[in-house]
Amino acid sequence: MRSFEKKDMKAGVLAILICAMFICIGFSGCTQQQQEEQTEIKNPSTIVKYDIGDAKTLDPADAYDTGSSEPIFQIYDTLVTYKGNDTLTFYPCLATEWSVSNDSLTWTFKLRQNVKFSNGNDFTAEDVKYSFDRVLTMAAPESGVDWILAQCMDMNSTTVIDDYTVQIKLTQPYGGFLSLLPFTIGAIVDKDYVEEHGGVVAGVENEWMKSNPMGTGPYMLDHWTRATEIVLNKNPNYWGGWEGKHVDKVVLKYADEAATRILALKNGDADFTYLPYTNLEDVMGEKGIVVHPFDSYDIIMCVINTKVTNNVYLANGEVRKALSYAFDYDTAIETAYSGYASRLAGAIPNGMPYYDTQNNGQPLYNYDLTKAEQILDNAGYTKSFDLDETLYRFNGTTIRVFFNAGNAEREKMAIMFRGALDEIGILSSVIAEGWPQLLHRMYTTDDWDLMFIGWGPDYNDPDDYIFPFIASADVKGDTYNTGYKNETVDEYLLEGKYSADPAVRAAAYKGAYDIYIQEPSFIFLQQRQYIRPWRDWVQNYSYNPVREWYYYDYYKAYE
Amino acid sequence: MKIWEFIVRRLLLLIPVIIGVTIITFTISHVIPADPARAFAGGPKAQPDVIERITKELHLDEPIWIQYFYYLNDIIHLNLGKSYLESRPVTDSLAQYFPATLELTIFAMLIAIPLGIVGGIISAIRRNKLSDHITRIIAIVGYSLPIFWLALILQYILAYQIPILPLEGRLAIGMSAPPSITGLYVVDSILTGNLNTLGAALYHLILPSFTLGFATLALILRMTRSSMLEVMGMDYIRTGRAKGLSERTVIYKHALRNALIPTITVTGLAFGGLLGGAVLTETIFNWPGIGRFSADAVLGFDFNAVMGFTILVAIIYVVANLIVDVLYAVIDPRVRLGGGG
Repeated sequence: MRSFEKKDMKAGVLAILICAMFICIGFSGCTQQQQEEQTEIKNPSTIVKYDIGDAKTLDPADAYDTGSSEPIFQIYDTLVTYKGNDTLTFYPCLATEWSVSNDSLTWTFKLRQNVKFSNGNDFTAEDVKYSFDRVLTMAAPESGVDWILAQCMDMNSTTVIDDYTVQIKLTQPYGGFLSLLPFTIGAIVDKDYVEEHGGVVAGVENEWMKSNPMGTGPYMLDHWTRATEIVLNKNPNYWGGWEGKHVDKVVLKYADEAATRILALKNGDADFTYLPYTNLEDVMGEKGIVVHPFDSYDIIMCVINTKVTNNVYLANGEVRKALSYAFDYDTAIETAYSGYASRLAGAIPNGMPYYDTQNNGQPLYNYDLTKAEQILDNAGYTKSFDLDETLYRFNGTTIRVFFNAGNAEREKMAIMFRGALDEIGILSSVIAEGWPQLLHRMYTTDDWDLMFIGWGPDYNDPDDYIFPFIASADVKGDTYNTGYKNETVDEYLLEGKYSADPAVRAAAYKGAYDIYIQEPSFIFLQQRQYIRPWRDWVQNYSYNPVREWYYYDYYKAYE
Repeated sequence: MKIWEFIVRRLLLLIPVIIGVTIITFTISHVIPADPARAFAGGPKAQPDVIERITKELHLDEPIWIQYFYYLNDIIHLNLGKSYLESRPVTDSLAQYFPATLELTIFAMLIAIPLGIVGGIISAIRRNKLSDHITRIIAIVGYSLPIFWLALILQYILAYQIPILPLEGRLAIGMSAPPSITGLYVVDSILTGNLNTLGAALYHLILPSFTLGFATLALILRMTRSSMLEVMGMDYIRTGRAKGLSERTVIYKHALRNALIPTITVTGLAFGGLLGGAVLTETIFNWPGIGRFSADAVLGFDFNAVMGFTILVAIIYVVANLIVDVLYAVIDPRVRLGGGG
C-alpha cells in the first residue's frame, strides 16, 4: 500500500511536470515571435476598419446613427460636401455651383453632368427632387431624422428647372441650410431604382432600401452580414474616376471586444480600429501603429435641472454658476480621457462656425472652489446644516448626480465632482442608471438634479448645438428638459437660426452666450478627441468631424 | 407508454413552460421604470412622432398585463415583434444568430464528447497511473479556468504570436457567407458546393469551438471517470471478469453503458446551456451568435429581442431534456419512459 502511494505521487508529480512543460513551450514560442517584425502590407488594395456598432439601416432617408452613416457616405453623394479636415468650406460634389437669393429663401444648384449611379442610370435633377421629397414623404418612420430637412423644406420646396438645375425654395430662411446638405439625409438616390423597389409610401420605411443601397458614390455594397461586416467594392461608374491612388475594397468589421481589435490592429488585419481611451496605451509606441488625436464635435456636459419644482436651489442661477466653478476640468480631462479632450467654452464646439462668439473661444469658468464658496455665501446659501459635526449648505439637501451605467469616463467625473461638492459643503450622491432609465427620469419624472451627457453633430452648424441646449421649450429648444428659459436669449437664438447673414448670426450667438453663461443650465466640460489608431501604411487619412470617413481618399503604401 | 406518446406529451408541456417563462421575463423586463421608446427613437434627439409610434407599437401606454396579452397574441400568430436595436424582425435576428451558435456548439461538442468520454474511461481504468493524473489535471484546468481567459490566451498565442489560426469571425475578412439554407456555414457551403467557404468556415471554427468545448470536455471527463469507477467496482463486473470475459468486453459492453447515464445527463444540459449562447466566447472570437445578441438586447432594453431569445432558450432546454430522457431508454433498456414503469 505504501509503495503504491509513493508510485501514485511520482506519477502525479510527473503529470504536473509534463503539463508545465507544455505551457512553458507555448510561452517560449511567444517570446521568440515577439521579436519578429511585421512590415509587409496586408491586403494592399483593401482597407479594413474594426469598430463597434453595426449599421442599423443603409437607407439615407432614415439613417440617424454613426454606424449607418459611415457606409452611406461611401455609397451615396450629396450636393455639397466637406473635404479633408476643413469644416468651414463647402465643396462641390453633385452640385458644381450654387447661389442664394437676396432674401435667403431661394437656392439654385447647378448639377454635375455625366454622372452615373453604380447601376448605370444617369443622374439628373429629377433624382435630386425625388430624394428630398422622399425624405419628407417617408418622414423617417424609424428615426425621425427627416426633421433636419423639415426645418426649412416642404414638398413644394424643390423644383426641377432643367435636367441639371434645381431650385430649392425654403419655407423660411435658415442660416444653416447649406450645412444640412452634406449630412446623410441629403444623399441623392436614383429615382428609377427606388421606384422599382417599393417606391415611397408616406410614413412607411422601405425595406429594400435598408439593405440594398445604390448611389453615385465611390463605393457600392458587396454584402452586409449583420453584426459581422459591411463590404464595399469600388463603383466602376464613379464620376471622380479611379486614376491615382485608391483602394478597391473597404471592409467595415464589427468586433465588440477591445482585446480582439487590438490584436487585429497589431497583426495588420485591421488598418484602423476603435479603442477606448484607456486601451490606447496598449498600442501606443508599437511599431507600425499611429495614434493621433483629432478634435471631434463630440462634447460632454453636465446638465442641470433648473426646474424649481425639482430643486429650489438649482433653480437659482448663482448656484449653477458656483457649480461651474466647482468642477475640476483639467483633472477630469487627464483622468477620464487620458488627456484626449480639450476644454469647452460653451455649447458650440471648437472648429464649428461661430465658436469664437463664446468669450472668444475661452472657457469662462475654471476650477476655483474658493470662488464657488464665495458665490454661494453671497447668495445666502451658507453652511448651516449640521451632519455628524460637518456643516453643509442647502439645509442638507442632497444633489443627485446621474450618469449612464457602463460609461467609465462619466463615472470617474461624477465621483470626482462629488468630492469637490463635498469640499464646498454640498451633500451629493452619484447614481448610475441604464440609458432608458435615465431617459425616463429626465423626460417623464423630472426627478433628477445633475446628469452627465454627451452630444454629437447632425450637421455643421451651431444651430444644431446651441439652440437645442439653451433655447427654451417654448421655442422648441431645451432638448434636455432643463427648464431653462430666458426670453432675450430665445430672441437672439431665433435671430441666429433664421438669418443667413454671418454678421447677424455672429452677433446673435454672442448676445445669447453673454447672457446665458451668467446663469448656465449646463456645466460645459470637454470636447472629446477622436482617435482611431491606424497602421502607418495607410496614407492620406485625415479626419473631418462632420463627415468622419472618406475611404476614396485613402490608400495603402509606404511613403 | 410508447416512446412517441412520451415525446408528444413532453412537447405539449412546452406550452405551459413558455407561458411561465414569458410571464416571468416580461414582468422583470417591464417593471423597471424606463423609457425604451425614447431610447430607440434616438434618446434626447428623439422626435415626438417617433416616440409615439414606438410607444404604440409596444403598447407601452397600456397597463403591463394588457401589454402581456398583446404579446401573447403576437406569439400565437408566430410574430415575435421587431428588434429596435437591429431595426428588423426578431425572427430575422434569431434566424441569423442561432445557427451561428448552433454550429459553434455542435463543433464544441464534437470535441468535448469523444475526448471527454475516452479520457474519462482511460482515467478510470488506469486509475492513479500517469495517464489518469494527466487527464485529471486537464479536467481540473478545464473546469477551473475562466473561459474568457482561456479564449484570450489561445487567441493571443495561436492567432497572434504563432499565427496559425484566424483571430476572429466565422469567415475570412470580406468573404461572403454561403447562400443561407440552414444558416450553418459548414452545411450550407457543402450543400452549395463551395469548398473555399467550407475550408474557411472550418478553419474559423477551430479556436472558438475548442475553447468552448474545453470546459465541457472537463465536465464530461470527470463525470465519465467517476461513474466508470463506481461501475467498475460493481459485483457484475467482477462476475464478468470471473467468468473469463475479455477486459475490452467488460469495459465497453458492460461497464460503459451503465456509466454513461450520468454523462448523458450532464452532456445534454451542457449542450442546452451552450445553445443559449456563450457570451464571452462569442464576444472574444467575434462570433455573431445568440449570446452576444441577447446580451446587447438586455442592456439595450430591446424587449422583443429579449423575449424572443428567452422563448427560444426555453424550447431548447425542454427539447434537450427530452433528448436526454429518450437516450436513457436507448442506452439502458431497463429505463422506461413516462410515469408507468
